[in-house]
Amino acid sequence: MAAQFNLTSIQKRYGNKIALELEELTLWPGHLYILTGPNGSGKSTLLNILALLTKPEQGEMAFTGERVTWKNRELNLMRKKVTLLHQSPYLFAGTVSANVAFGLKARGLSGEELQRTVAESLELVGLKGFEERNVRQLSGGEARRVALARAVALKPEMLLLDEPLANMDQESAQVVEQLIASLPDRGTTVVMSTHDPRLNERLEGDVIQLMGGRLASENGRYPAYSSGDQNPGTLKTMLMADALVMLEG
Amino acid sequence: MRYIFTLMLALTLCSPALAEERLKMSTTTSTQDSGLLKVLLPPFEKKHNCKVDVIAVGTGQALKLGEAGDVDVVFVHARKLEDKFVADGLGVNRKDVMYNDFVIIGPKGDPAGIAKAKTAAEALKLVASKGAIFVSRGDKSGTHTKEKELWQAAGVEPKGNWYVEAGQGMGPVITMATERQGYTLADRGTYNAFKGKKTNLVVLFQGEKGLFNPYGVIAVNPKKHPHVKLDLAMRFIDFVTGPEGQGLIAGYKVNGEPVFFIYGKK
Amino acid sequence: MGFIQESIRTSFSLIFSLDWEVFSAVWTSVGVAAGSIILAALFGIPLGLAIAIGDFPLKRVVITLLNTLMAMPTVVIGLVVYGIISRQGPLGGFGLLFTPMAMVIGQTVLAIPIVANYTLSSVKGADPRILPTALTLGASPLQSVIQLVHEIRFGIMAAIIAGFGRVISEVGVAMMLGGNIRGYTRTMTTAIALETSKGEFAFGLALGIILMIVALIINLLLNFMQQR
Repeated sequence: MAAQFNLTSIQKRYGNKIALELEELTLWPGHLYILTGPNGSGKSTLLNILALLTKPEQGEMAFTGERVTWKNRELNLMRKKVTLLHQSPYLFAGTVSANVAFGLKARGLSGEELQRTVAESLELVGLKGFEERNVRQLSGGEARRVALARAVALKPEMLLLDEPLANMDQESAQVVEQLIASLPDRGTTVVMSTHDPRLNERLEGDVIQLMGGRLASENGRYPAYSSGDQNPGTLKTMLMADALVMLEG
Repeated sequence: MRYIFTLMLALTLCSPALAEERLKMSTTTSTQDSGLLKVLLPPFEKKHNCKVDVIAVGTGQALKLGEAGDVDVVFVHARKLEDKFVADGLGVNRKDVMYNDFVIIGPKGDPAGIAKAKTAAEALKLVASKGAIFVSRGDKSGTHTKEKELWQAAGVEPKGNWYVEAGQGMGPVITMATERQGYTLADRGTYNAFKGKKTNLVVLFQGEKGLFNPYGVIAVNPKKHPHVKLDLAMRFIDFVTGPEGQGLIAGYKVNGEPVFFIYGKK
Repeated sequence: MGFIQESIRTSFSLIFSLDWEVFSAVWTSVGVAAGSIILAALFGIPLGLAIAIGDFPLKRVVITLLNTLMAMPTVVIGLVVYGIISRQGPLGGFGLLFTPMAMVIGQTVLAIPIVANYTLSSVKGADPRILPTALTLGASPLQSVIQLVHEIRFGIMAAIIAGFGRVISEVGVAMMLGGNIRGYTRTMTTAIALETSKGEFAFGLALGIILMIVALIINLLLNFMQQR
């Protein structure tokens, strides 16, 4: 299986400040990646680059084997496969269903199929029946769940989440966490950033640590040890494989 | 709502496309302000199923419009300039239409004592020597041209705070002269329209041959501007110089007084 | 000033007597203004969007130029367009001078900087998350900009209202390019100018009052549309 995302020699600057610098980053399909690091460590920058919204000053990127050329048409096609949910998401003026349907309409969906998909997505985030509500009437947690439904409805190949659980009420957080955990099995790779050091206890994910705009590994690569084109599986299986090798050897 | 606007736009734009032909005529503001055109034009428009677009500007601009070919016919009162217009090949078929006269108006008290002057030039000389306020058109109009001739005849070059060069039409100049209680040279038509309610100035000098104010009509030369509506322009000239037009002009009165006079009988 | 009272009375008697000349002038004013603002919106809104969103050298120069154009006197715009559409000008062959179309052209030129500038401001003041959100959800750049316009439609409507106010109240362009032809290119404003030059101050002000009433009605309409 090929890598889903491959970034090499990336550098992103804002003015003179280097916001992100990494040697190599490889992401594999079907994984749940947890991006950790203190404020200002470059998590949001990395997510924006992965979302193909921000172009790094230096570096090469390949998505699902294709090189990212940053040209309009191809870029738009790629953006239809990877979606970012902002930390504080913006909901378009209007109804909940208008929002959830937005990306679907951009992909040519309409009529009954559209309505059905919208309803399904709302149910996934625990907001069944919210279609006709105006976004101005939603609570904070509800609004963020609508934004999540809006992204999930697109069944993207990769979903990027910027601190999806921060400052969320208990009820909403539970629903969201469960949904996120189920996404890799539904065919969506997840990359989520978080402040919560205990998140990995609840979600089984591969942790990518950032510090001061760089990967917190010695060689500036993730995964830290290069395993060529093979999908290394989750961290757990990797460790188990190592253990077996050690036992056998 | 959008539809209402689009409809209005469409209707506005369609108006030039409607069946009638349009004859563009430039004239002076005083001619238009006299109100004559409101009685003179409709019979012509009806007879020839057309509309006459009247663009009233200063004499200078009126002739320039003819020169540029932006109008089909010119109707002004500046004989010398009209003759030059034709001589320069810019217009054809110039005809006399009507005349009235200029008058010198001023405050009832007549501080410069011009009422006893023998000639118009002498009257102006008195104004200058007294340093009484005189408002000039200052806009190269027929009236202004006549005024300059009079200053020349008087041997005076008007200069000083008392000489106000307004650069506007006859109406605003009369208004200004009224405000300042000064003198000015006005065509009788506009003065009559203002007399009473809009000005308390009175006629202090009149009747001299030199104050004769003739009006002429000229068609724009098709050789220079092939697009002009020559046929319609000629018909217009025939109309205003013919019995029907002349009758309307002679019969036009403001406040019971005639404003223009025609040549010859009837 | 006695003529103010007289003008109020005159304005109402003109309205109720359905004076043809007055209604013709109102119709011309509104029609020309409406035509101009529609065209100005067609050009000005995309222009404002492009300048706001785009990234190009001399961006600041362009914005300053736009601001300066907003302050251009109407007579100057009238003169420039006059020079172009007069028979002696490059577009003289169309015979546009002294027609309502000429006024529409001039007023469109007048309104475009206003509409573009207000649109530019609306975009600059808009939430910076709008475009990235639309793009990441898979909308094309064009679809995203359309969504942006939808989100800032209140500001865009304000642009149109501002432009409309400017064109319906101006005299310079209408007078120069229309020629104040009775029943054809005479607008409320040129009619007022004419009456004033004839010393008919009360009548002029009466027309002015009618113009304000018409403008008020139209603005109420536009405001209603804005709130929806």
